[in-house]
Amino acid sequence: MGGRSRRQRRARGTASVAEALLWLGPALVLIVGIVLYPAITLVATSFGTYSITGLRKGDAGTSNYTNFLTSPDLPRVIGNTGIWVGAVVVLTVLIGLALAQFLSKEFVGRRFVRWAVIVPWASALVISSQLFKLIYDYYHGVLNQLLLSLHIIQKPIDWLGDNHFTMASMVAVGVFVSVPFTAYLLVAGLNAIPADVYEAARIDGGSPWQIYRRITLPLLRPAILIGVVLNLIYVFNSFPVIWILNGSNPGFGNDTLITYMYKLAFRSAQHDVGLSAAAGVFNVLIILIAVGVYLRLVNWREGKEA
Amino acid sequence: MKKSVRWGAIVAAAAITSMTLASCGASGGSTTAKSGDVKSIKVVIAEYSKDHTKTFWDAFTKTYEKQTGVKLNLQIINWNDLDQQSSTMIQTGNVPDILNENAYASYAADGLLYSADEVLPAATKADIIPAFVKSGTYNGKFYGMPDLSSARALFYNTDLFSAAGISKAPTTWDEFTADAKKVTAIGNGAVGYAQPLGPEEAQAEFAIWLFNNGGDFKKNGKWTINSKQNAATLQYLKDLSVKDKVTQNNPGGTNRTDGAFSLFEQGKAGMVVGFSPLQGALDTQYTGVKYAIAPMPTGDNAAPQTYGVTDYLMSFKKKGNQDAVKAFYKLYYSPSQINTWIKAEGFLPVTTSGLAKFKDDPKLKVYLDTLPNIHLTPTDDPEWDKIKLTIQQNIGLAVAPNGDPKKFLDDLQAQAEAGK
Repeated sequence: MGGRSRRQRRARGTASVAEALLWLGPALVLIVGIVLYPAITLVATSFGTYSITGLRKGDAGTSNYTNFLTSPDLPRVIGNTGIWVGAVVVLTVLIGLALAQFLSKEFVGRRFVRWAVIVPWASALVISSQLFKLIYDYYHGVLNQLLLSLHIIQKPIDWLGDNHFTMASMVAVGVFVSVPFTAYLLVAGLNAIPADVYEAARIDGGSPWQIYRRITLPLLRPAILIGVVLNLIYVFNSFPVIWILNGSNPGFGNDTLITYMYKLAFRSAQHDVGLSAAAGVFNVLIILIAVGVYLRLVNWREGKEA
Repeated sequence: MKKSVRWGAIVAAAAITSMTLASCGASGGSTTAKSGDVKSIKVVIAEYSKDHTKTFWDAFTKTYEKQTGVKLNLQIINWNDLDQQSSTMIQTGNVPDILNENAYASYAADGLLYSADEVLPAATKADIIPAFVKSGTYNGKFYGMPDLSSARALFYNTDLFSAAGISKAPTTWDEFTADAKKVTAIGNGAVGYAQPLGPEEAQAEFAIWLFNNGGDFKKNGKWTINSKQNAATLQYLKDLSVKDKVTQNNPGGTNRTDGAFSLFEQGKAGMVVGFSPLQGALDTQYTGVKYAIAPMPTGDNAAPQTYGVTDYLMSFKKKGNQDAVKAFYKLYYSPSQINTWIKAEGFLPVTTSGLAKFKDDPKLKVYLDTLPNIHLTPTDDPEWDKIKLTIQQNIGLAVAPNGDPKKFLDDLQAQAEAGK
């Protein structure tokens, strides 16, 4: 009896430990090696005292955390991070929505346009950022030349060096590199909405704007949700855009938490990997909380049922 | 029940696997494990140029391996990443045998380095120019072996100068300001002076000017960062852009290589503080720019000071690597090696024999004459490593229109004194 039930269970697909390990092993090794081990090292590092050379001098207790949380630049950096993430994510989703609507319609050359939208996504962030650094350049940049020759501005603007423009210039690049992924996500979402719903709405006499608001948007909700959450994380963690565009500016006036963390470890007078690791732990908590709050606000579970 | 046992086993197995991987990672590059002499050394070199660094060091590696039978694992790292990578190597215990960096004192203070007594042949040490031995000496011992040096001088565009009606290079700061104004007045995008005070190398720009105003960072063992001369210097540098408006836009956000130098290379800047690699670029790539080189103008009517920079080849104490490291230095400082390298990169020698070898090169003459009396930054003090970083990050804020040069220097002085 026992033997039979066992065979039955195996036939239903329950594997032995060895078999399970064989299948799960590679993934588990990856997870432990790439996620868990670095995370543990990060936390361990944040409790150590380090010399400027990188040599561990001893235990720091929680002093790295208190030093980080009381550093005078932190409020500004957190403010920058809020503006950067907020502006890029909101603009990306709005532009993505419009672009997705456009791309899901049939028109001549659609394939061409779809390819063109993919390009910024396919090129490396470092390359796009370098390109924009050249475009924004005070003396030789295309942007200033264009605006000057159109007489929109009278003298060149220091897009990256003038504090009034730096963040806006970086946000524009952030949106540019985030829109393609978001637009495609939303195109997929649009394609998943059945055509008969629209037909019914039209028969009932709904205006295009009504249809968009009452049908398209609610049915796109899961796609928008995913788009926002993934963008929140990507944009928050985005290093190259800010590092490169803000590269020649002094101080921490335009840094986000991510570039600030790097500067703490390797560029600032502190030059302290322990302090930087504490910043890293702080960053992970911030993004977890941000995503958690967002999901709470939009009633994630309800959205799933809808 | 059974299910949880399985999961436990899986997690345990995975944990063991990953720990094995991790420990491989930690010990893989190190050569400390066995007793006796090492069979290989790890040498980390800074990339001075894409064209020459790898060529020279590949050839050096071959010669070294043939001579000693010890394998040389060469790693060439871009200057931008070098600090991060070397710091990570030490943090993870994956310490190199030889490291090429622009600072050494912090490493010496951490007790990581061999001193010259342990690894440098006496004849080699005697050949190194005394000014560099001094700057490489921490706490009475010579740890920071110089690999090459460079000296700075005033480069000026002779076409722009004659267009502005200037016949000779300025020798005082008043003349400098006046000349810069004349060049700026030409218009058409001409900039009197290209001033790089962005994060890349701002401490060099500041040092050049303050040395030529009777200032210094440290005198007789005491920090003098906020001295009267230094404060006047930084105020002067700020006035050039804010009051006199003779610099390029936003000097505090302009780096040297891609900012100030490139303006000069395009013939847009009247003057810039340059060094021999800039000269190389002007003579080979930007041949349209007519230029001349002069000593720095002075603010205190004293003789011009030459600001110099040297980088270091330091060696890390590891079991059994002493002979291999010694052989490395012996080969590196042999005239056929070091002079080839310095010539290829367009830098200046650090040895007396090198001085003799290059003295007939007309292009280097302007620098070589001053090399033995060169004025260096206090690289022998570990605290300088942090002062340097603060200057790089923050001096741009001090020279901005709303910046406060005096307060910046007072803060810096306080930082330096607190470190003691």
